[in-house]
Amino acid sequence: MSEPLIQCRSLTRTYTRGTETITPLERLDLDVMPGEFLALMGPSGSGKTTLLNLIAGIDRPTSGTLHIGGIDVGGLSRSRLADWRSRAVGYIFQLYNLVPVLTAYENVELPLLLHRMSGADRHSRVAAALDLVGITDRADHYPRQLSGGQEQRVAIARAIVADPAILVADEPTGDLDKASAAAIMELLGRLSREAGKTLIMVSHDPACAAHAGRILHLDKGRLVEHAAATVGAAGVTT
Amino acid sequence: MIHPRYMPLVLKQLVRQRARTVLTALGVAVAMFLFVTVEALQRGVAAATELTGREVTLVVYRQNRFCPFSSRMPDSYAPRIARIPGVAAVVPMKIVVNNCSASFDTVTFRGVPREKAESITDGFTVVSGSLADWQRRSDAALVGETLALRRGVQTGQTLAAAGVTVYVAAIIRSEDPQDQNVAYVDLPFLQRAATRGGDGIVTQFNVLVDDPARLERVADAIDAEFARDAEPTTTRPEKAFVARAAHDLVQIVGFTEYLGLAALAAVLALVGNAIVLSVQDRVREHAVLQTLGFRSGLIARLIISEGVALCCAGGVLGVAAAVALLHFSRFSLSVEGVNLNVRADPAAAVLGLAVAAGVGVLAGLVPAFQASRREIAASFRAV
Ligand SMILES: Nc1ncnc2c1ncn2[C@@H]1O[C@H](COP(=O)(O)OP(=O)(O)O)[C@@H](O)[C@H]1O
Ligand SMILES: [Mg+2]
Repeated sequence: MSEPLIQCRSLTRTYTRGTETITPLERLDLDVMPGEFLALMGPSGSGKTTLLNLIAGIDRPTSGTLHIGGIDVGGLSRSRLADWRSRAVGYIFQLYNLVPVLTAYENVELPLLLHRMSGADRHSRVAAALDLVGITDRADHYPRQLSGGQEQRVAIARAIVADPAILVADEPTGDLDKASAAAIMELLGRLSREAGKTLIMVSHDPACAAHAGRILHLDKGRLVEHAAATVGAAGVTT
Repeated sequence: MIHPRYMPLVLKQLVRQRARTVLTALGVAVAMFLFVTVEALQRGVAAATELTGREVTLVVYRQNRFCPFSSRMPDSYAPRIARIPGVAAVVPMKIVVNNCSASFDTVTFRGVPREKAESITDGFTVVSGSLADWQRRSDAALVGETLALRRGVQTGQTLAAAGVTVYVAAIIRSEDPQDQNVAYVDLPFLQRAATRGGDGIVTQFNVLVDDPARLERVADAIDAEFARDAEPTTTRPEKAFVARAAHDLVQIVGFTEYLGLAALAAVLALVGNAIVLSVQDRVREHAVLQTLGFRSGLIARLIISEGVALCCAGGVLGVAAAVALLHFSRFSLSVEGVNLNVRADPAAAVLGLAVAAGVGVLAGLVPAFQASRREIAASFRAV
């Protein structure tokens, strides 16, 4: 069996607001295997987004360690962490967060602007990502001209275009109708199974979480492990 | 500062806020118009009055007289000046102006003996007409380009002012700002034609010195030569002579420098405000870019680029307007027969654009710094 891709040890994040100290994540231990599809569930305020943000490198642990692919992510400098993000993780938001002045194509192209590659190379990778999420025919549309489901597809294309090993998704279907949500879940499942992405998804919807290989419950910043779901985590690596 | 592939992102942000962008750019344009006009004014004054150490021209004037009407000396001084060591050429000159006080539309006639005028005409570029034609007709004039354009006269036409009517034989261009705005005519003709003329009477002598280093010494020698004559003289380098005659104008123009600086301060405030507002609207968007791996330094440079783009757009507009105005209006400030030309100086235009871009950088600096310091996760929660 391979090494875990993500290793959290005693991972703690506290915020101080005035005199009050909030600890959304407390001494959390978690291993995530390469290629695993992990669902995080739990009540609002239980620290799910905080955990995702730490793993995505957009927030830093207060104490404890976080190793991803052997790198001590918490110890990287600000700009090294940014460079690491551009290669290693794709973030999928509940509210898509596309840049409104850019077309679908340009939104997907954004992460590639940071990488040294030819224009032709960039174009073919954007086209491939748009094709993979099935939105090629909307490439020239602006976000306001797209439905929620389509926006989320563009956002997913943007998250995968630089080919990161890890995808994090914070309630990716939280703002979508049932049909669109099902289609997005189908797409995420495919990215996990066929592209071998390590996927960590927050969801409130048990139907969505059921696509995952493992479901974890967070409560008040601590893990409450449930029985593994139907697909075993270890067998998914490709 | 940023790679060209990020430029669409910068420009599209400006297009998104179309009304704000247009209004801000127009404000920048007005201020830069003012700045470049003031700068051109300053440069015109400097060109006419500031000694560079390479000058070889002295002006001999009647002592204690400050207007061409009252400076009267016999032209028999010329051979005596010519004998002074270091003097290369002497040109007696009668000056007739239609207006002795400060004015935008002064016509200055300079009467010089045509047969001795090579030392003056040597440096001329003939724009139209011919020098030979000037030698032929007694009432012929060489008209400076600025004067010709302002008065709308062409070769072959007549130019009338201060009771003198001349035939325009050629239009000329010269390095010397004074030549741009005068009409050179034959000395005897002007002595006869002018109302306060008189044979043998001239206003000044223009003296060419053989070595710029001897300028002051030759000037002193000339004044010593005539100190006991009926008409004593005061001799100064030409630019110093202009600086004295135009002293009041030079002071006023010097003051306008503050207007130029105030215009820049206005641009800074205007563009700074536009950038601050636009950055506040986009806290979440910048957090998204950082999540994608944009370094905070890159975010800062993108924001600064917006300021620069705004300033450059407005700057190009304002500078172009200033250059067009100065080019077509041919401003020339005259007083006591000397001229300060305000021209559309390419160096002033380039300076204007560079300064606009620099102010754009300054305007973006603070909002860029703030945006780059913001915590990503907190930015997502804030909005
Ligand atoms: N930057 C912050 N400052 C203060 N409190 C925060 C901050 N981020 C998160 N919190 C608090 O941490 C707790 C957990 O938040 P979060 O991880 O978003 O929970 P969940 O995603 O499970 O709903 C909440 O009480 C939230 O108010
Ligand atoms: Mg959350």
